[in-house]
Amino acid sequence: MSRVAYSVAAALGALAAMIGISGLLGDTWVVTVPWAVPLGGLQLSMDRLAGFFVALIGFATIPVSLYAIGYAGDDRRGALPYVGFVIAMCAVPLAANVMTFAVAWELMALASYLLVVQKATNGTATHPGAPAADGSESHDASPHAGGRHAHDAAEATGAAWTYAVMAHAGFVCLLAGMLLLSAWSGSTRFADWRDTELTPLARDAVFVLLALGFASKAGVIPLHVWLPLAHPAAPSHVSALMSGVMIKLGVYGLFRVSLEWIGPAPAWWGVAILVAGTISAVVGVLYALVEHDLKRLLAFHSIENVGIILIGLGAGVLFLESGLGTLAVLGIAAALYHTANHAAFKGLLFLGAGAVVRSTGTRNMEVMGGLVKRMPWTAAMFLLGAVAISALPPLNGFVSEWLTFQALLQSLQVPHTGIGLVFVGGMAGLALTGGLAMACFVKAFGVTFLALPRSEAARSAVEAPGWMRLGMALLAFACVALGLGPTIVVPVLGLVAGDLTGEVTPLWFGDWLRLDVPGDFASLSTFAIAIALLVAGIVPLVVLRARGLTRRRVYETWGCGRLLQTSRMQYTATAFASPFRRIFDFLYQPAHALHVEAHPESRFFVDAIRYVHETRAVAEDWLYHPLSQALHDVTERIRGVQSGSTNVYLVYILAALVLMLVLG
Amino acid sequence: MLRQLRAALGVGVVTEPPAPASEIEALGVTLRGEIARLFGRSLHIRQVDAGSCNGCEIEISGLTGPHYDLERFGLHFVASPRHADCLLVTGPVTRNMAEALRRTWEATPDPKLVIAVGDCSRDGGIFAGSYAIAGGVADVIPVDAVILGCPPSPKALLAGLLDAMGRLRQ
Repeated sequence: MSRVAYSVAAALGALAAMIGISGLLGDTWVVTVPWAVPLGGLQLSMDRLAGFFVALIGFATIPVSLYAIGYAGDDRRGALPYVGFVIAMCAVPLAANVMTFAVAWELMALASYLLVVQKATNGTATHPGAPAADGSESHDASPHAGGRHAHDAAEATGAAWTYAVMAHAGFVCLLAGMLLLSAWSGSTRFADWRDTELTPLARDAVFVLLALGFASKAGVIPLHVWLPLAHPAAPSHVSALMSGVMIKLGVYGLFRVSLEWIGPAPAWWGVAILVAGTISAVVGVLYALVEHDLKRLLAFHSIENVGIILIGLGAGVLFLESGLGTLAVLGIAAALYHTANHAAFKGLLFLGAGAVVRSTGTRNMEVMGGLVKRMPWTAAMFLLGAVAISALPPLNGFVSEWLTFQALLQSLQVPHTGIGLVFVGGMAGLALTGGLAMACFVKAFGVTFLALPRSEAARSAVEAPGWMRLGMALLAFACVALGLGPTIVVPVLGLVAGDLTGEVTPLWFGDWLRLDVPGDFASLSTFAIAIALLVAGIVPLVVLRARGLTRRRVYETWGCGRLLQTSRMQYTATAFASPFRRIFDFLYQPAHALHVEAHPESRFFVDAIRYVHETRAVAEDWLYHPLSQALHDVTERIRGVQSGSTNVYLVYILAALVLMLVLG
Repeated sequence: MLRQLRAALGVGVVTEPPAPASEIEALGVTLRGEIARLFGRSLHIRQVDAGSCNGCEIEISGLTGPHYDLERFGLHFVASPRHADCLLVTGPVTRNMAEALRRTWEATPDPKLVIAVGDCSRDGGIFAGSYAIAGGVADVIPVDAVILGCPPSPKALLAGLLDAMGRLRQ
C-alpha cells in the first residue's frame, strides 16, 4: 500500500519534472476550470519561473519517493498525505489567481502538518529497522535515554502545533495582502496585477504583508521558529522535501512579489530582502554550529541557505532599481541556481541523516560515531552532500555561491553609497557564513561518522537498504551534475531572470565549459577545477609508485601512547562547537550551571560532576514569548464577555438591536 | 594582574646570560648543513617527557625562543610522532611512561633517530634504583645519542644534536 503510494509520487514527480522543463524552456499555457473552486475558478498558468519551480519539485520528488519506499517499509501512515503534499506543491507555482493559490497553499500546509504530526499518533514502529538504543546511553544526558517513543510523540505534537500556528499566521498575511491587491486592481488574477497603478504607500503595505507571509514559509529569521522543530519531527523523506522544496515556495513568492506582481520594486525592498537574507544566513549557521541533533542542525542550515538565496534576490532587486539590468539578471540567476542546488544537497543530507537515524534510533550526534565503517555508502553520500553545502569546488554549492559573490562584488557600479554599504554587509555575511558552514559540516560528518562508536546503537548500526541508497545516489548525481554543468544551467536560469526583469540579456558562457560574468569581470570553469583536483590527487600517486615509494605499514591509530582508548576520550560535538560558542556568546546568551557532588567526608572525593551549558533562542525569548503572553492576556480579558450566562447574552442582543436602530 | 606586573618589573631578569649569538650562529649553520645532507630538507623533532623534572624541558623550550630560534636552522618541533624524524626523550623513564614511550617509538616512521636528553635519561640519574622508574631511556627503546647535563643548556643541546648527526653519518 505505502509502496504503491510512494511509487505514484515518484511517477508524479517525473511528470512534474517534464512539464516543468517544458515550461522552463518557454512553453506557456493556461488551464481554467471555472466550476472547480469558487471566486474565479481553478486557474493554472505556466511561465518560465513556474516551470523552474515545478521542475525543481519534480526532480526532488523522484529520488525522495524512491528513498521513502525503503524508509517507510510497511508503515502505512503518511503515505496518502505525502502524495497530496507533492500535488499541492506542484500546484502552488502554477496557480494563476488568488483562490487557486489559496487552496493549493493551504493544502500544502495541511498535508505537511499531517506528515509532521505523524509520529504523535502512534509511538510504535517509527523506526522499523532500529535496534533498541535505550539503556546504552547511560553516560549521556540526552532526552532519548528513556521512553523515546513517548518523547517523540510529545515532540511531534509540539512541533506540529508551532508549525500550524506559524503557517496560518503567514497565510493570514498572504490572504490579506492578496485580497487588498485584488480589491484595488479589481481582479483576482495575478496576471492583471502587473499593470495596476497603485500609490507607493499601498504598494509598500501590500509588499510588507506578502513578504511577511512568504518569508514565514521560507524560514527567514525571525520567522523561522517552526523550522527547527518541524523538520526533525517529520520522517526524513518528508524533511528532505520540506527543506529542499517546500520552503523554496516561500522564496518563489518573494520572487513574484518583488519582481512581478507589484514591481518594479523601490530600493528599500531590495535592501530589506538583502539584509534579511544576510541575517538569516549568518544567524542560521551560528545556531546550526552549536546543535548536536543531526536533523535540527540540517534544519538550521536550511535557514542559512534561504538567506543566501535572498542575498542573491536582494542584490538583483537593487540592481534593477539602479537600472543595471544585466547585473540584476546575474543576481537573480544566482539566487535561482542556489535554490536548485540547495534542493539537491539538502535533500541528500536529510536522506543521509534519515538513514543514520533509522539505523541508530537517535538523532543525537553525541551517541553516534564510527558509522563510516558500518554504513560506508551512507557516509560517502553524506560526505558528498557536506562538501557541496560547504561550497567547495567542484560541486554545485560552490558555483551558486560564486555567482552570488560575483553579483555582490559588482555593486561598485551602484551609484548610491548607502546601498553600496548594504552590499558590503552582504559580502561579509556571505563570507562568514561560508567559513562557519564548513566548520559545522566538519563537525557533523566527523562526530557522526568517524572515530569510535559512542554507543551500542552506533556499534550495531547497519547500512541502509537498496531503495534508500538509490534515492541518495540520484541526489548525489544531481549535486555533481549541477556542479559540473553550470554552462548548461545558467543560460536557462538567465532566461527565467530575463522574463522577471524584462531584460533580454542572455547569460554568458565561454568556450571550454567556462562561465563568464559580463563585463570581463570573472570567469569560472568547474570542469577545469575538477580535472585539476583529479590530477592533483593522481599525480603524486603515480610519482610515488614510479619511484618505488609505496611501502606501507599498518599500525593502530595514534592515541598519544594511551594504553586504552575508549569513545569517551573522543572529541564531542559540544567540544568542537565550544570556541564558536564563546566567540558568539552575545548571540547564544548561554547559561552555565556547574554542579559538583562531593563525598560527605571530603570535598576532594568527587562523586559526580554535572555541567549544563544551554544556549538560549533569542527570537523565542525576546519576540515570541512576549507576543504569545500578550495574546494570552488579551484573550483572557475578552473571555469576560463570554460569561455563559443567558441573561447577559440577552442584554448583548438588546444592545446590538439598539445600536443597529440608532445607526440605521 | 597589577600584582603580577609589579612582580615581573621588581624581580627583573634572573636567567643566566645566554651563549653569544655568533657561537649559536656557527653551530646552527653547521647543523643545517648536516641535516640537509642527511634528511634532504629539515629535521622534525617530537619531544617526549618520560618522567622528567621539567628542567630539560625549560632548556628545550629556550631553543624555540628569539635568541636561539632553532627553526631557522631547519629544526621543527612537531605535535605527533607520526610527523617526526627524531625523538627527543627527557627524564628517567617512569613505569607509567614506559609503555607509552615504546608506543611512541613504534609510531614514529623509519628511519628515525632517538636522542636522550639529560643525565636522568642515561641511567635514571638521581632517581636511579627507585621503585618508580624503569631505568634510563636505553632500557626501553634503542637510543642513538645522549646529551648529558643537568640540565643541558640550549647551546649544549644544539652541539649534541650536531654530534648525533655526525655519528649518524658514520
